[in-house]
Amino acid sequence: MTTEAAMPESVLLRWVRAEGMAEIEQYRRAGGYDAARRAATELTPDQVIEMVAASGLRGKGGAGFPAAQKWKFIPKAAPVKYVVVNGDEGEPGTFKDRTLIEGCPHLLVEGILIAAVTIGARKVYIYLRREFYRGRRLLEAAIAQAREAGYVGERIFGSDHAVEIVVHSGAGAYIAGEETALLESLEGRRAMPRQRPPFPAQAGLYQQPTLVQNVETLCHLPVIVGLGPDRYKELGPPALFSVSGAVARPGVYEAPLGVTLRSLIFEHAGGMRPGRRFKAAFPGGSSSVFLTEADLDVKMDPDSLRQAGTMLGSAAVIVMDDSADMVEVMARAVEFYRDESCGKCTPCREGTVWIAQIFERILHGRGRTEDLALLDSIAAGMTGTCFCPLGESVPPGLVASLRLFRDEYERRIAVGAVHVC
Amino acid sequence: MSAEARRALVTLVIDGREVTVPQGATVYQAARSTGIDIPIFCYHDRMPPLGACRMCLVEVQKMPKLQTACTLEASEGMVVSTTSPAVRAAQESILELLLINHPLDCPICDKGGECPLQDQTFRYGPGRSRFVEAKRDYAKPISLGPLLALDRERCILCWRCVRFGEIIAGDDALKGFVRGFTSEIGTPLGLPVESKFIGNTIAICPVGALTSRIYRFRARPWDNEPVASTCAHCGVGCSVWLDVRGGEILRARAREEPEVNDVWLCDLGFFGHGYVAAGDRLTTPLVRREGRLYEASWDEALGLVAERLRSARERGPGRVAFLGGRRLSNEDASAAGRFFRDVVGTPHLDHRVDAPPDGASLGVSWGLRSSLDELGRGDVFVLVGCDITEEYPVLWLRIKAAIDRGASLVIVHAGRLEIRRHARCELLDRHDRLAPLVSALAAAVSGAVGAGSGAAARDDLVGEGATGDDLAAAARVIASGERVHVLLGRLALDGPAGRDLLRSADGLTRRVNGTLHIARGRGNDFGAQRFGLLPGEGGMDAPGILRGAAAGALDLLYVAGSDPATAVTDGAAWESARGGVGFLVVHEAFLSATAQAADVVLPVLVLPEKDGTITNLEGRTLTLRAAVKGPGQARADREIFDLLTARMGVAHGHGTVARIEPVAEPTAARGGASPPLILVIADRLFTQGSMTGRCRGLTDLAGTAHCLVHPADAARTGVTDLGLVELATEHASVIVQARVSDATLPGQVLVHRGYDGVPVHALVRWSPAPVGVEIWPIAPPGAPPGGGTP
Amino acid sequence: MTERAREEIRRLAGLYEHRQSALLPALFVAQQEAGYLSPEVLESVAETLELPLTEVTSVASFYGLFYLEPVGRHVVHVCTNLSCMLNGCQRVLSRMQEVMGVRPGETTPDGRFSLRTAECLGACEEAPAVLVDEDRWAAVTPEEVEPLLDRYR
Ligand SMILES: Cc1cc2nc3c(=O)[nH]c(=O)nc-3n(C[C@H](O)[C@H](O)[C@H](O)COP(=O)(O)O)c2cc1C
Ligand code: SF4
Ligand code: FES
Repeated sequence: MTTEAAMPESVLLRWVRAEGMAEIEQYRRAGGYDAARRAATELTPDQVIEMVAASGLRGKGGAGFPAAQKWKFIPKAAPVKYVVVNGDEGEPGTFKDRTLIEGCPHLLVEGILIAAVTIGARKVYIYLRREFYRGRRLLEAAIAQAREAGYVGERIFGSDHAVEIVVHSGAGAYIAGEETALLESLEGRRAMPRQRPPFPAQAGLYQQPTLVQNVETLCHLPVIVGLGPDRYKELGPPALFSVSGAVARPGVYEAPLGVTLRSLIFEHAGGMRPGRRFKAAFPGGSSSVFLTEADLDVKMDPDSLRQAGTMLGSAAVIVMDDSADMVEVMARAVEFYRDESCGKCTPCREGTVWIAQIFERILHGRGRTEDLALLDSIAAGMTGTCFCPLGESVPPGLVASLRLFRDEYERRIAVGAVHVC
Repeated sequence: MSAEARRALVTLVIDGREVTVPQGATVYQAARSTGIDIPIFCYHDRMPPLGACRMCLVEVQKMPKLQTACTLEASEGMVVSTTSPAVRAAQESILELLLINHPLDCPICDKGGECPLQDQTFRYGPGRSRFVEAKRDYAKPISLGPLLALDRERCILCWRCVRFGEIIAGDDALKGFVRGFTSEIGTPLGLPVESKFIGNTIAICPVGALTSRIYRFRARPWDNEPVASTCAHCGVGCSVWLDVRGGEILRARAREEPEVNDVWLCDLGFFGHGYVAAGDRLTTPLVRREGRLYEASWDEALGLVAERLRSARERGPGRVAFLGGRRLSNEDASAAGRFFRDVVGTPHLDHRVDAPPDGASLGVSWGLRSSLDELGRGDVFVLVGCDITEEYPVLWLRIKAAIDRGASLVIVHAGRLEIRRHARCELLDRHDRLAPLVSALAAAVSGAVGAGSGAAARDDLVGEGATGDDLAAAARVIASGERVHVLLGRLALDGPAGRDLLRSADGLTRRVNGTLHIARGRGNDFGAQRFGLLPGEGGMDAPGILRGAAAGALDLLYVAGSDPATAVTDGAAWESARGGVGFLVVHEAFLSATAQAADVVLPVLVLPEKDGTITNLEGRTLTLRAAVKGPGQARADREIFDLLTARMGVAHGHGTVARIEPVAEPTAARGGASPPLILVIADRLFTQGSMTGRCRGLTDLAGTAHCLVHPADAARTGVTDLGLVELATEHASVIVQARVSDATLPGQVLVHRGYDGVPVHALVRWSPAPVGVEIWPIAPPGAPPGGGTP
Repeated sequence: MTERAREEIRRLAGLYEHRQSALLPALFVAQQEAGYLSPEVLESVAETLELPLTEVTSVASFYGLFYLEPVGRHVVHVCTNLSCMLNGCQRVLSRMQEVMGVRPGETTPDGRFSLRTAECLGACEEAPAVLVDEDRWAAVTPEEVEPLLDRYR
């Protein structure tokens, strides 16, 4: 059995697991900031973009958009550009960004510097979710050290580039992770998503071209520039998976993109707990469609998962064993979206309440057989009609659960009916 | 958009129909242009699309998902369906979702009959609801101030009202609170909404969630007869519909007029009609006998007036004077002018009753020097002593829209304006130092225009609020403008050294080839000006008439369309004028302070009762339509002049008018240091005047008279916020409530005119020097406020 | 609000192109000082940043971590999202309620604790996760609840 320790090729977690990586000396001794220095002093922006393109790096925040392509959308000639780091990490089951920041904040700072000098941004805002108190302290200390070393501020690495980094706290709103809502929030408003187009790359923060990038995505950059895109690709390319729920060893695991769900659960995360059987898993957070035992060999990469009718999202693998009540699981997921809906659009705001109310009835023994068809139909009414992906997150999982675990719903309703009599 | 882009067209197909629209148009607009109706709730064509309600979904070939027509830009070759089964299903779903928490109380809802939600449900809605849970249940409507009520359960969260405040009015009056399904529209803590434009939110709310507390439950829309007319309150002249039922104006609505008010009104326009139906309108002529006013017949009253006019005429030319005009229609004004000039034979006419003798107001003609439309296309606006939202609210909407397109606003004022957030630069100084401030600004602009770089600004020329840097920055902004509009307001024109200020402002404007507007005058002052209610040759202006009357040079004073007893800005001038003139004739709708002092009061119709025209501040002629009949025997002013003409016979031509020596010399400017606290009297939109004081809702907004005291002065004088204070000048004192606020500047106390119960003009005399005022607290906050005079 | 807090808010405003960007950080500065965002505190923030009170209040009410009502000296957040739910957070939450004698959303009568549920705290490997003020506690068991709370006086 392969274990974490037996994977010497780990390229991201290597930084995180090593001792003392919050200190710039330690980080530098291990080769840290060499990639950023090269990007700032030796490489042209086009060269960096080519490396990122060749690496095949895709966004790790959930949407999986090719990073280099996004960078190319940023108008070169624009006088003011921003990099905004998405560290809101609110997707249930996702904790890789926090792990990276707490383990090796310099890796993120270095990634930020590479992105900033490449697109020509002088100002970077890190939007960190408020609850990451420890992460924020470490990150701010790391930025201060980097500033001291001349890597942040004016003329970084002695080049002509200037990069300022400001850490900004969220205030408790999942929707603020959605990139346009994040920009609204960063501008001091209610985190309500914006109409796209224009995309942030064209008109983002303060209506200026803005690169919004997830924490992990940026952490890949020093590795890509450091190892070169070919070597990086040979390694998988590497990806981080947050595995949680009913597994023996929940945690963040690095594995090549395309690793099987089975390997993630049974090799990396130590399998199920003693005496328990695998029942189902969300492969990409609670907005993805469940995979069941039959799907254990599906490959965990964006394309394979899309073919399997689900998605990789932020690679949050939430595992359920045979003790899990799938009606309760679904009800909890729906409640989350109901409470975190920003309230801007009708289907998300009203649909989630209605569905949650039906679930509440079912869970309290007042379900009706026709509720299942009703749930399906409300889900259909929400599909493709919501303003942003938050509302659209509800129907796929709900519809799949009604199909895959119909017996559990029916049992609930039948039992409830007895109680009611 | 460049002219080229404007010409670019795209052609698409909607429901099988080919449509060609300008590039940039949305699919919704394209559909509308060919008569295809797509249901909408959140979209409003005066604001950018939001895409929130999701009602306008359409199917577009080659697009995987349904698209919102309101946000989707039409592109060449697009094939759109607004009726496909997928679209129908989506519309049904959205409506079902909107209705799950809607009370469906249409029969008792004000919006019934003009409610898009009702209409859409009728057309696109599901037959029955599958929603079995309990609906959201809120306590019945909450009131958000005297004008506005909110039924939260009817609200469909379309965000129109919120965005109106953010985008159109810029006052952020209503906001969304909490989030998700608990989202609510409202104000913080349910406080009264602070806005001068809230009526518009009632108008654009697509359901009956926001309603007028004045109009609530008073009528169903189909019972009302709408009359197209014009609002004559502030001088902008917004087009309105007056909805009439049973001989009463129940509500006013905006009537679209792109070149004036577009589709908006201010709340004075929406709610300022209650006075028309007030119970204390004058219905018969009144004649003074033995010191008291008695009801009389028209015949008796007119006979008496004609006789007095005739005898005055016989004593020689120029023994009669006419004051007023603001509340007259163009036709009334013109009849008055003809009557006094040709029939009575006097050159002493003036509508500028509220102008002081030594300010700049009497030396310029009032109004804009360009059309509103052209003004709206300006790129720099300089407001000098012009509190735009208090004086010409709808004009502000045009400036706000220009700012959103990139124009800059520079404020030069003696206090903070509520719109200051939208300004690029703000130069503040005490009222008596505005003139040197504007002169320094003019010099700095010259420098900036000349040198093209930083203007040399002298710090000693600018005081409290402004620094030399501020001045230089403002000068650079102004110098960079290509279409600069300078609006000079009453506070600047009539303030100390108003004439110097006018000269500097004029110089400044010329330097940048801009336009100088005289933002002075209300109601139909502009019609009065145009139709000759100004001194003729050898004639006296309004202050001259008052002084002449006091000196016994006049036999008869005739007032129409004005209330000089409250309007004249010298507390003694009116009293002595009245005392010195033998006979006073007043046209009035109410027993105003002026009417109370009259020998004959003739009851008149108010503007909403008359057909005719008025002139707005840009000189545009606007139509008035009689919406209702007047009370009792009230008559139109012009009809009265016609009747008098018939009784008078034509004049024998003008003789030479006797020269009248001014009697009451203006108080000499006290040289040296200005007093520690000076008094500034300013205009306000919502007041307690003879008309506004009789409009339900508006009187609550006006509240009681109050003065603004800067925190530093408050600390020194022991004045507390909301406490009662006595304000005393060497002439008189009044009791008002104090508001401690840094909206005013140290060294000055600002008090509003327009509260008939608190005659602040009694505090001042015409004087070129700033008026010193003392202030002391007389009661702590919470004591019942009241007004009083010495 | 103290002058120091105002100073800090003005400093924060300087970090951004538009001062409204400093609103969320400013509200935290005010909240930390005053305990919660009372109407007066909101007014002070609005004044300091020169923003409409309507806007400031509207924004504050959107986010879960702004307290518009008084809270206890320590705020306890128990994550109840999926991973924690699959690891028995319900039992931890019940125990919390027992020990504190309040339900989620409430504050103990002595003003020591406010109990709240939280959405995923991004600490699922440590499920059930609990956040007390700024400290994160991992894999909390019902038995550990009491000693854990005892650390906070
Ligand atoms: C409801 C919602 C929540 C999201 N939350 C996060 C988040 O917490 N962190 C994140 O990086 N991206 C999140 N995203 C994705 C972002 O919108 C965006 O795609 C991402 O920040 C882009 O960065 P990337 O390309 O590096 O992934 C969320 C998206 C949605 C629709
Ligand atoms: S009150 Fe009316 S205008 Fe405002 S959001 Fe609700 S429905 Fe829309
Ligand atoms: S009108 Fe298009 S989404 Fe509301």
